[in-house]
Amino acid sequence: MHLDLHWPDYLIILLYFAFVVGVGWLVKKKVKTSSDYLLSGRSIPLWITSLAFISANLGAQEVIGMSASGAKYGLMTSHFYWIGAVPAMVFLGLMMMPFYYGSRARSVPEYLKLRFDEKTRSLNAMTFAAMTVFSSGISLYVLARLFELILGWDFDLSVLTAAAIVAAYIFTGGLTSAVYNEVLQFFLIVLGIAPVVVIGLWQAGGWDGITSKLAPVMTSTWAHTGSAEANPMGITTWGLMAGSLCSSFGYWCTDFLVVQRAMIARNLNDSQRTPIIAAVPKMLMPIIVIVPGLIAMALPYFIQDYALPTANDGSPDYNMALPSLIAHYYPTGLLGVGLTALLASFMSGMAGNVTAFNSVWTYDIYQPYFKKNAPDSHYLMVGKMTTIVGIAASVGVAYMAVSFNNINDFLQVVFSFVNAPLFATFLLGMFWRRTTGHGAFAGLLAGTLAAALVHGFTIAEGKGGWLTSNPLEIASGIAQAYHIAWVAFVANLVVTWLVSLATKPMPQESLSGLVHGLWTDGVPPKATAEVWWKRPALLALVVMVVAVILNLIFW
Amino acid sequence: MEKLNDLRFIIGFFFTLVGAMLVVLAFALNYEIAVGKTLNLYAGLAMLGFGGLMLWLTGRD
Repeated sequence: MHLDLHWPDYLIILLYFAFVVGVGWLVKKKVKTSSDYLLSGRSIPLWITSLAFISANLGAQEVIGMSASGAKYGLMTSHFYWIGAVPAMVFLGLMMMPFYYGSRARSVPEYLKLRFDEKTRSLNAMTFAAMTVFSSGISLYVLARLFELILGWDFDLSVLTAAAIVAAYIFTGGLTSAVYNEVLQFFLIVLGIAPVVVIGLWQAGGWDGITSKLAPVMTSTWAHTGSAEANPMGITTWGLMAGSLCSSFGYWCTDFLVVQRAMIARNLNDSQRTPIIAAVPKMLMPIIVIVPGLIAMALPYFIQDYALPTANDGSPDYNMALPSLIAHYYPTGLLGVGLTALLASFMSGMAGNVTAFNSVWTYDIYQPYFKKNAPDSHYLMVGKMTTIVGIAASVGVAYMAVSFNNINDFLQVVFSFVNAPLFATFLLGMFWRRTTGHGAFAGLLAGTLAAALVHGFTIAEGKGGWLTSNPLEIASGIAQAYHIAWVAFVANLVVTWLVSLATKPMPQESLSGLVHGLWTDGVPPKATAEVWWKRPALLALVVMVVAVILNLIFW
Repeated sequence: MEKLNDLRFIIGFFFTLVGAMLVVLAFALNYEIAVGKTLNLYAGLAMLGFGGLMLWLTGRD
């Protein structure tokens, strides 16, 4: 598959580059302190924090990866949204933001320091910082490879141009610039990919046309989860629910990359509503990212001149589902918009990682370990320098990925080991006052170890099974990831509980405002809302009802 | 200058420009497949509408 661009396409891409860099320049004068640069001065309006919240996650994995999963696993992929992300975002808004925002912590690792101790914060900060740099670098690598493949662009040029543009707008405008651009990128991704969905559905005879041609298991969410053999994910209802909930809650409720967008809201009410409002477009996102995968599978039944590209071994190349549809349909002009949307998704993912990295590095690693009581201007300078260092390191990772083909898979696996158990630490930390720092630290290590063991004793699609010569076979990588997630969660929960009971309780006065029931002024922080429809709980109820209805409609 | 800092203005301006370009291209180019012209036209009009809405929201405040 090769695409030829013409001058209008290049003009649109250049226009986009000019706008994202211009945004950084425009917000530059707002940046006077380290808080302005790294936390946006906690002054960002609700609609922007909400859209930035989901846009920070709209990276390569979401846009290209979910359409690939849609083509491979069908509508079951929507479980990532309808029983994964949406309930997790509602839980974050209702139950966790009062602690994150109310404690005035500047980052998720800093909350761990306030709630537990320095070692738990450091463990989380170090692993998170490493993960963000690697994720950002891999995003850059995938972008450059994709554009090399479909446009014939030079790999070095793609890597360096994308990195330079992200560096330009984050260095000048900090988090505000990244967040503003994430909102622009969100609309660009939606409006740039939506025409594929509209024209694809039209040519395939609508949803009815797709369901008439694809196997029923491809167009249902729950109907075929009675046994692992009955669906392409190879997972049962229990594995799906436990794994999806553990992995989604682990990501959406504890990953600073997304939680940071809610922490920069103007007040507690806005910070609580940020993830809940973000859940509304999130639950509709399968239309943009999963349906194209289904269209790619169904379309060859309706038209002669389209087929999903194949990989070198002759198997369908699911990763090309969305790019191949864009290539098939988009004329000059709209092709520029579609490719800009793909570029935006990569840059959005990279910028999100870099801004989270510079906050964690500055506040959770540099300040406590290198220079404790420096003037604010010093931390502002460190934040800016960290942006450049983070992006340079990302470029390094992108080139490392060229030399080591499997580094992407390897890192994804290692990240899953670290991420999977995290939610248990926060759950116990926020809702069980007896949880101790030693308990949290031991639980995190145990959860990571448990995740590694499950991966080592199971094998899926050729991955894992490195601890035994006779590993347990699992049908798909997703099913394996789900099993890793719930086992790591349980291991962390049990070990944290046991070690906490065996160690000295933390003094209650040190937990004020950090644990449920131990409120700063003796009363729970309450998000004030001048009108009833702005109450987070009501909004959360509506979102959950709609999510349940979606599950039922596409059962 | 204040308006320039309003994100709605930035988004509105961007999509109005891109939308206008697509509408002009819909009539200016020769297409190998008929659906190409329709796609550029309707996507352009949608973006023009969205950009206009954002600009109107900026101007209203």
